[in-house]
Amino acid sequence: MAYGIAYRITGDRSAAEDVVQDAFLGAWRNAARYAGARGTVRTWLLSIVHHRAIDAVRRRRPTVELPDSESGLPDTLTLPDTWAAVELRLDRAAVQVALGRISDVQREAIELAYFGGFTQTEIADRTGVPLGTVKGRLRLGLQGLRAALLPPNAADGAGRG
Amino acid sequence: MELAVAEQRFAGMTCAEAAELAPAFVLGALGAAEADAVRSHLAECPELHAEMAELHSVVPALFEAVEPVAPPAGLKDRILAAAAADLAARRGAAAQPAPVQPVSAQPLPTRPAEVPRRGTDFGSVFRRPIWSAVAIAAALAVVALGVWNVQLRDQLTGLEAYRNDVVKILDAAAQPGAQLAVLTDPTGGRGPSGLAAVAADGSVAMVMRDLKPTTGTQVYEAWLIGADQVPVAIGGFEVGGSGTASFVTTHAAMGEGVVVALTLEPQPGATAPTPPILAVGTAHAQSS
Repeated sequence: MAYGIAYRITGDRSAAEDVVQDAFLGAWRNAARYAGARGTVRTWLLSIVHHRAIDAVRRRRPTVELPDSESGLPDTLTLPDTWAAVELRLDRAAVQVALGRISDVQREAIELAYFGGFTQTEIADRTGVPLGTVKGRLRLGLQGLRAALLPPNAADGAGRG
Repeated sequence: MELAVAEQRFAGMTCAEAAELAPAFVLGALGAAEADAVRSHLAECPELHAEMAELHSVVPALFEAVEPVAPPAGLKDRILAAAAADLAARRGAAAQPAPVQPVSAQPLPTRPAEVPRRGTDFGSVFRRPIWSAVAIAAALAVVALGVWNVQLRDQLTGLEAYRNDVVKILDAAAQPGAQLAVLTDPTGGRGPSGLAAVAADGSVAMVMRDLKPTTGTQVYEAWLIGADQVPVAIGGFEVGGSGTASFVTTHAAMGEGVVVALTLEPQPGATAPTPPILAVGTAHAQSS
């Protein structure tokens, strides 16, 4: 799975291999920090792979402002502990169904952001729509995915603004 | 009050401004300056930003949207060799030339030229939980390469618990007068392994991994063996599918160099150990 994510983002087998190795060693060296991270080991590791892969593709675009990646760890590790997570259904079939429920433009915006490594401003430029529209697509897309992935008994209490 | 907080600027940003950037932030689609601003706001703002959390919870689902691609042959070896080289370098940097006992159960890479199987350096283990990092490394490698199933997930859950317990044991062993024992399979095989901290008052905290699940009335029994060579039962515990267990008990102090051993007994209450001894180690003080 990690290799698949790295390959999806980099589009290059050799680069994907480097990313996975790099991410693994990052995880290895920072294993002591895992205890403070929420979520599973798998999500933690895949987040690191994603983070490294995005770094790799952004480095190919010298005009892009690079995020601070000194630690090589994604933001998911530094979010407040007070956030209680509702367990979403994360099996592959459920995710595929959920992706089918959001609009094409919402899905495109999310994919460009998460797998393309583009900022929302860059997505607006590439797709030729205003920044505000991109923000709306990302928000509605994520909210739509979340609604589709909530377990049935949690849907009632899952209000959102 | 809440309104006042929401209107305040934390790290130069209001809650509303942070919320507007939330979808892009959780997807990593902000420039560095904006991402830093949101991060700082979250760190300083007392509000929970529930919507940010909701949006963030969706992100792991995106991993499942990716088509699996078989990793190239040899990648696993490369990763494990690199990890082993990293470990060796760190051990070298620790410069503690007093290996005491081998830790045999760690599935380290199998390239002898690059992976000297040295004894465990208590000093470096003590300063940093490298040992537990080693334990988690192989599992991470398996995850990295796409092998994932329910069994592995259970193992990892157990490993996480084990890892947290290891940290507690090391903390306990750091107390004045405490001793640390590394328990390994006395046959040198791939049997159970673990750590035990023996406190100055004799209380023992133990964490073990690679234990076979107990069935029926079976219990794992821990023993202390002092200078008189008589094993003293200090308590038992059952083990589930994770294969890991932690155990805390109290017992009168038996002094420096006490041996900690583990057996599998057919039922609780054993007064003499039933062979074989599954794991054993001698406790040593960690501070001089």
